[in-house]
Amino acid sequence: MTALVPLSAAASPDPTPATAAMSALLEVRNLTINYASPRGTLRAASDVSFAIRPGEVMGLVGESGSGKSTVAMAILDLLGEAGRIDGGEILFEGTDLRRLSAGQRRSLRGDRIAAVFQDPFTSLNPALTVGRQIAEPLVQHKGFTPRQAAPRVEELLAEVGIREPRRIAQSYPHQLSGGMQQRVLIATALGCDPKLLILDEPTTALDVTVEARIIELLAGLCESHHLSALFVSHNLGIVNRICNSVCVLYGSEVVETGRTRDVLARPVHPYTKGLVAALPRITTDRRHRLSSIPGTVSKLSGPPDSCVFAPRCPFAEETCRRLPQALRGDAAGNSVRCWKAEALSGTPWPEESTASRPPATPPARTAPLVQVDALRKVFGERRSILPWLRRDGTVAVDDVSFTIQRGEVLGVVGESGSGKSTIGRSLLALIEPTAGTVLFDGADFVKQAKEGDRDLRRRAQLVFQNSAASLNPRKTVGAAMERPLVLAGRQGEAERREMIAALLTRVGLPAAYADRYPHELSGGERQRVNIARALATDPEFVVCDEAVSALDVSVQANILNLLADLRDELGLSYLFITHDIAVVSHIADRVLVVYGGTICEEGPIGRVLRPPYHPYTEALLSAVPRLSGAEDGPEPERILLEDSTAPPGGGGCAFRGRCPRKLGTICDERAPPVQTATDGHRIACHIPLAELAERASVFPELAALH
Amino acid sequence: MLLYTLTRLAYLAMVLVVMSILVFLVTQAMPGDVASMIAGQFASKEVIDAITVKLGLDQPLIVQYGRWAAGILQGDLGRSLVLEQPVAPILMEALSRSLVLAVVALAVVTVIGIGAGVLAAVRRGRMADQMVSGVSYLGIAVPDFFWAIVLVLIFGSYLKWLPTGGYAPLADGFVPWASHLVLPVVTLVLMLIARIARLTRSSMIDVLQTNYVKYARAKGLPEKVVIVRHALRNALLPTITVLAIDFGLILGGVVVIETVFSFPGMGRLLLFAIQRHDLPLIQATILIISTAYCLANLAADLLYAFVNPKIRHGMGNA
Ligand SMILES: Nc1ncnc2c1ncn2[C@@H]1O[C@H](COP(=O)(O)OP(=O)(O)O)[C@@H](O)[C@H]1O
Ligand code: SF4
Ligand code: SF4
Ligand SMILES: [Mg+2]
Repeated sequence: MTALVPLSAAASPDPTPATAAMSALLEVRNLTINYASPRGTLRAASDVSFAIRPGEVMGLVGESGSGKSTVAMAILDLLGEAGRIDGGEILFEGTDLRRLSAGQRRSLRGDRIAAVFQDPFTSLNPALTVGRQIAEPLVQHKGFTPRQAAPRVEELLAEVGIREPRRIAQSYPHQLSGGMQQRVLIATALGCDPKLLILDEPTTALDVTVEARIIELLAGLCESHHLSALFVSHNLGIVNRICNSVCVLYGSEVVETGRTRDVLARPVHPYTKGLVAALPRITTDRRHRLSSIPGTVSKLSGPPDSCVFAPRCPFAEETCRRLPQALRGDAAGNSVRCWKAEALSGTPWPEESTASRPPATPPARTAPLVQVDALRKVFGERRSILPWLRRDGTVAVDDVSFTIQRGEVLGVVGESGSGKSTIGRSLLALIEPTAGTVLFDGADFVKQAKEGDRDLRRRAQLVFQNSAASLNPRKTVGAAMERPLVLAGRQGEAERREMIAALLTRVGLPAAYADRYPHELSGGERQRVNIARALATDPEFVVCDEAVSALDVSVQANILNLLADLRDELGLSYLFITHDIAVVSHIADRVLVVYGGTICEEGPIGRVLRPPYHPYTEALLSAVPRLSGAEDGPEPERILLEDSTAPPGGGGCAFRGRCPRKLGTICDERAPPVQTATDGHRIACHIPLAELAERASVFPELAALH
Repeated sequence: MLLYTLTRLAYLAMVLVVMSILVFLVTQAMPGDVASMIAGQFASKEVIDAITVKLGLDQPLIVQYGRWAAGILQGDLGRSLVLEQPVAPILMEALSRSLVLAVVALAVVTVIGIGAGVLAAVRRGRMADQMVSGVSYLGIAVPDFFWAIVLVLIFGSYLKWLPTGGYAPLADGFVPWASHLVLPVVTLVLMLIARIARLTRSSMIDVLQTNYVKYARAKGLPEKVVIVRHALRNALLPTITVLAIDFGLILGGVVVIETVFSFPGMGRLLLFAIQRHDLPLIQATILIISTAYCLANLAADLLYAFVNPKIRHGMGNA
């Protein structure tokens, strides 16, 4: 069931950096790419150069829009109609791909250079069996007939860790889980024994535990097949785990490139410094402010005439704004695009503010603000006296109880489908619970909301993930904020206008943004507008459902700081739903770990991050990719879970299908008892607390902190 | 898939029962009285009453309906009052001609409509696309009777290349048969092609932007394979439904075109029956037309399910 695997990629010695370009498998030289758009040309890659040697895995990182995918697609010759390569070379095994005919490039694709894309579900054709889709490159490039390809397809599926290759080959994509789908894509890519893999965010759409397995698989395959890979990612933790070298893009340029352990542990370029500093870590609890990179990336329409990062760089000087920067290499083979690099080598990214936040107030003795008791929600159930019309439905939340104090932030973590959002929405009476009660400040929220109690609606608000979809594209920001203000009883128009300006300022936006339309804002700005809108009704409680998940690290840090400020200044309580442990450990006071609709562990964040662990929490924590490791000695062993399966119904533990420590039939038959440890830390498991406490900490670095 | 088909068939049966009741009631409500029509204009009241009793027209509606429905189930569609012969063979003949029209028209629409749509999508924004879009706009904007008249005038009356109307059975030889079909088919397909081309173009454009099409290219598949195997297969889902419904509509008679070209299909038969107050013929014709339409819809759904594995394999819990 479980495998304890030492981390191969990061542990193996790095090949020496690319100095001899001749030996490179892939070398990109001075690549410049422009997109034709209705508003003129848009520069997506400027003078991009890097090299990948045989067996090397290179990470291509940067925030969204920095040009990562563009470069990856250019190598595959899949830029599409709008994209145009306007200069540079792409040398694959010494041949410039741009000099080949389109047909020659196509015959390399899927054969010598194979790809895996971000979202496995949309990358598979819904109308064809996966076996047929895996066979396609074999038929195309290796001259197999579809019949001859069948055994090879099964072999490939087995190699990527699929246990029933024959059955899976005959399935359609929608019948497989996300992890399985990604394995299928990897099998497809491996088919023709490629030399180079182009991986565009291959795990971004997956759950953390599944992501950990896929990364392990990719690392193993690269090693055993002596594969090289270009690994596009915005997740520095993942890059740290699988990549030998890394290339950081900012605003269409390479700003820093070198060995992963050098670049991530001792970033030299200011942008890389900011990126690394903005990453929330397990060790930064609620008293720290996150560092953030102010501003947003500016779009270029032609060659840069200054340092592209200058508008956001805390170290910028006059010279930076006058001259474009060149990429300069050092003796170790790392390169940086910043003339001040050497001078800044010891300077860290400036701290946001040295003043630390007040520690969590001890839990008040007053009645809790939110009290949830035995909450249960079943979707799609149909009751009928006619047996054939009855339908069981899906149990999304099962017997969940918890409380939230005033001014407290309760984190909820768990994988997709574990019931996090259902819990959040039940608290706001946006869905009606099947059973159980939700008390808000002592009143039955569901009942009050049904009776049209406006005031209760005003006091609890929601901010959710998709900041673009939650704003009406045809309404200005100000217009979008009107309604909640009316709801809050602000009748006068002048008064409302003043309030809107104040709220926008409150979330760090210029008051003039009231007249803007959502499409004129960046993702982070839209999320600020959403927060401002939620604040408009002067709420006491806000449910944040993956509110920072879609944002780039630098923007995410900004929003997290804002949410924490609002908590400290306005005394807001949050239910903070996220799949990111580091985020939750940064902002939450207490945390619920949910699996299959049930709470498996609950407690103060500091307790949940340390043993005793619920077996699921332990696996979840150990799957989290981190930046530490290179510095802090060898990485701890990882617990790898099976790909997610639907939680089994009936009695017993919800986690028993994937539990690496399952005791036996007792777990199948009886619901696990809730055991209470220190500080209200509670774990629902049949394994005794003392035994759970014997496991080593997943985060040894936490031991140093109190 | 089997369960799905069975459920759909059960629905179909239900719809047909309801439809037959409606048809029966509506025709009952039409002016005119069957007995007096059979007896003729100058018949005495006694004769009429006798016929009424003989045909059971004095019995409650429900009994009359039961008798009619039972007859249909045994293959007896009744007797035409005007033509004084059984309805079934008359209907079959008209239906077979409409079927020929529908099959030929559908074949032409499928090949040209889908072909043009795909071409336009693949060459989006270029010459070919603009031509397809322009022509389809004309096809949709100009009503079919206009084309019908123009074509008859040019090819029938003026050039005399083709017969202006009528129908020749295949037994008379291929050329006469085909030459009678050309004008009705061409008129009929103009608008259908335009609609199918536009529909195919837009769904094809959507599908060409999907990740799986991009991934198919990333596998190094030739563009032809990418378009046919990966894109078209999925883009055709909405088109299939529309085609099957069009087929049902043509089968049920296209009154305008059949009239202009004096094509003796279902549409003209129904018109004839209504003009002559031939109740049994009206009832049977409407029933057959509705059945044809429902069957075409069923075919559309089954075909849709067949090419869409999400439906095909999701039946158990659907
Ligand atoms: N098809 C396209 N047409 C026009 N602009 C595009 C297109 N694809 C990407 N861009 C633009 O190119 C820039 C780089 O995008 P991309 O390569 O997707 O970055 P990343 O993968 O790092 O998020 C962005 O400004 C983006 O808006
Ligand atoms: S060149 Fe100047 S502005 Fe650019 S990164 Fe270096 S210090 Fe900052
Ligand atoms: S109760 Fe059993 S299955 Fe559930 S987590 Fe504990 S050991 Fe694992
Ligand atoms: Mg991207």
